[in-house]
Amino acid sequence: MEQTQPQSVHVHAPPEGFLWKYVFSLDHKVIGKQYYGLALIAVFTGMILSWLMRFHLVWPNAKIVGLDLISKSGAPGGVITPEYYLSLLTMHGTLMVFFVLTNAPFAGFGNYFLPIQIGAEDMAFPRFNMMSFWTTAAAFLVLVLAFFIPDGPPISGWTAYAPLSAVGSDAGPGLGWGQNLWAISIGLFCIGQLLGSLNFIATTLDLRTKGMTLMRMPICTWAWFITSCIGLLAFAVLLPACLLLILDRMAGTSFFIPSGLVISDRLQNHAGGSPLLWQHLFWFFGHPEVYIAILPAMGIVSHVLVTSMRKPLLSAKVIIYSMISIGFLSYMVWGHHMFVSGMNPFSSLLFSFPTLTITIPATILTLIWLGSLYGANIRITAASLFALGFVSMFVSGGVTGFFLAQPSIDIYLHATYFVVGHFHMVMGVAAIFGILSGTYFWFPKMTGRMMNETLGQLHFWFTFIGTYCIFMPFHYLGLVGNVRRYASFIDDFMPALMPVHRFVTIAALITGAAQFIFLYNLIHSRFFGKPATDNPWDGTSLEWSIPSPPPWNNFGGKHPVVYHDAHQYGVKGEKGDFIMQDSPETAAG
Amino acid sequence: MAGSAASKDSATSKNVIVKYLPVYFVLLAIAGMEIFLAYQHFPTGPLLAILLALAVCGGGLAVMYFMHLAEEPSSLFLTLIPATIFVLLMMNMFWSDSFRLLHMKPFPH
Amino acid sequence: MSEIDIAMHSQGGELAEGSPYRIPSRKLTMWLFIISDAITFGALLFGYGYLRTASSDWPTPFKFNPSILNVTIMTVVLITSSLTMLGAVDSAKIGNKAKTKRFLWSTILLGAIFAGLHIREWFGLIDEGVRLFQNPWGSPLFGATFFAITGLHLLHVISGVVALAVISRGFSRGWLTAGHVETTGLYWHFVDLVWMFVVPLVYLLNISK
Repeated sequence: MEQTQPQSVHVHAPPEGFLWKYVFSLDHKVIGKQYYGLALIAVFTGMILSWLMRFHLVWPNAKIVGLDLISKSGAPGGVITPEYYLSLLTMHGTLMVFFVLTNAPFAGFGNYFLPIQIGAEDMAFPRFNMMSFWTTAAAFLVLVLAFFIPDGPPISGWTAYAPLSAVGSDAGPGLGWGQNLWAISIGLFCIGQLLGSLNFIATTLDLRTKGMTLMRMPICTWAWFITSCIGLLAFAVLLPACLLLILDRMAGTSFFIPSGLVISDRLQNHAGGSPLLWQHLFWFFGHPEVYIAILPAMGIVSHVLVTSMRKPLLSAKVIIYSMISIGFLSYMVWGHHMFVSGMNPFSSLLFSFPTLTITIPATILTLIWLGSLYGANIRITAASLFALGFVSMFVSGGVTGFFLAQPSIDIYLHATYFVVGHFHMVMGVAAIFGILSGTYFWFPKMTGRMMNETLGQLHFWFTFIGTYCIFMPFHYLGLVGNVRRYASFIDDFMPALMPVHRFVTIAALITGAAQFIFLYNLIHSRFFGKPATDNPWDGTSLEWSIPSPPPWNNFGGKHPVVYHDAHQYGVKGEKGDFIMQDSPETAAG
Repeated sequence: MAGSAASKDSATSKNVIVKYLPVYFVLLAIAGMEIFLAYQHFPTGPLLAILLALAVCGGGLAVMYFMHLAEEPSSLFLTLIPATIFVLLMMNMFWSDSFRLLHMKPFPH
Repeated sequence: MSEIDIAMHSQGGELAEGSPYRIPSRKLTMWLFIISDAITFGALLFGYGYLRTASSDWPTPFKFNPSILNVTIMTVVLITSSLTMLGAVDSAKIGNKAKTKRFLWSTILLGAIFAGLHIREWFGLIDEGVRLFQNPWGSPLFGATFFAITGLHLLHVISGVVALAVISRGFSRGWLTAGHVETTGLYWHFVDLVWMFVVPLVYLLNISK
């Protein structure tokens, strides 16, 4: 094998001053942490919103101290009104899907580790990168502003279905400026993600160091790359959809508002639009978005699993090809969200087929993760536990996808808790498990300190069991016919189901409280954790070849040279049972 | 970047305009033909098909020659163009609902 | 670290694997932006087609004079500006700064004429009573889709003109390279390309015969 010594490149001076170092930094590592921090704020906000919702479902007349300070009309005297319940639901969904599931695994970890894993010193366009973060941060602030305006947040759900989202304040609280802020926020978010996607693709293709061929990239690098390709084309559709929604709301157009609509006894001054068009445009983005959330988590989990198992995956190539085909198919299936929307029933058939097809690559991925475990002597850490938990969630949540993919069954199950349980497990919690796994795994690299392993494993068991306790009953509730988005079930119907709801709420409160173990662990370890070595998990990819935390220009002004595939485990190397990617040695057998 | 390109391509900028004049005139001719055809009394459907076909020809010429995609490595063409066409083709699934809104039946006949 | 350093790094050589497409990062990124933007326009045009097909009272108001005549002139202006842009890119490549500047400013001028003609046409339609939410002839969505699509295109033209002015200044002062001119050229041709689809779909399908 050809051996080239690492060559030195031009050394850049690091930035000076707090503002340029930590706020308007061009360094991909700082930007990655900023994204992660934003997601952390969003995820705890979203979690507290879900607490409020669960609390209200079970004790609808309970007073929540202090809530009337945030919204006088939404929670008079601390009691949540049914409309405010919908506001909380909208904000929970929007924060979680956009600002957590898209930000943390893709933009957060991706920004931090993609350049390092391919041996680059930064992203291809550092200024774009900073702009992308600050656009996203502005989107977050605009969205959160909706809590503090008199009107309150919108009540139309994270999907903002028209015409409810398009007609304005006649239709209910939050549909005035609350919905405007929502639409502006999501428009800004699209721009931020488009800039980020461009940067990720250019970086992956152009900045790979010597020897880092495409097939030698770690699986999570591939996942981020595929995700950015999906994002580039998907957010490009949501952006004009948001523009049209803003025009409908602010300029009096009626793209999404049909003729003769009477709301609150008032005939709307709109004619000729089609609410279905919004659903088509939204879900054309919305389904790829699901994979934007889950693919990076899949990549992180594969990376963590292969490092913990100490043996190669059955086939890294097949994992990559499966992820590519998932990305490809994700553009063909959006209609399965619309089986009961009044869409042409013939289209339902056409959408059902690719939806069932997409389970094939998903199943292949699961089989590879599980099959690789056979005969592996897995190291049990908080990171690997969360990776295994991801596989468990992905399977449990994915299996219910088979039911929902068929129009005949979906017509019965649509808009029930079955759907809520399905997507929370397969996309929501599974991606969160990927994020947590990545956090425990990469925290030593990002901060130079280890996280507390005991607290980490405690956090895992609480979260894992808690999640099943919350979302498994949802499926049964849905099968019985419990509809989603209802603020209360006490007075109107299904009082027999209340014990189940009570159980879920208690489980949600405990599981949520357990997340503060994680928060404590994160903050405490940041300052007082045990110092980490450069390669605490005996990993092979390039991020483990540099100090923890990495210096400002990652490789100290040198370019590493790569000699091996990303996952050389279970071989005899100089340092143990693995060979680093940038080590010129050959496997001894 | 500039130096290597200059040594390879010694054409002066005057020549480049002459070189692309045929494309320019074809594009103008396509635009003229579109306007001419729009005034013939075709029904909307066939007219749309003809106009779209002409627009795709014009767009293709612009992409291949004005934007020099024909001179780039073919891998770039094979990445960008199929991806764009695939996504735009998938959007055609919208139509069945559009027709139905007017006729209130799955298919307009 | 400056972007120019990284862009040079991406030229391959001893240190890196280099791009599979063998083009500079900036150009690749512009191409990716273009396909993403093409899909944005595509989604808008699909939305327009969807609503047009679903409306029973879609108006076809464009008369030959002034609208179609104006559009013809605008098309000629925009395609000609693409030709001058080609000249600018080529002169920038051989390093002829004066010529590049001349070509860039002819492009800017043509772009500005296009924008001026377009705004004049908008005002003409507004005089006839076309608004985003209503028009004298039929479905209110006519004005909505017309202004949304041509407005987004006009926004692209105006930002293109501004970008070209910045590029022209930067290139003659030496802080921007021929690569920047070429990348902006790609964008400008794309604006032209979008217009080639806007004319038949938005104008020619809606002429009054």
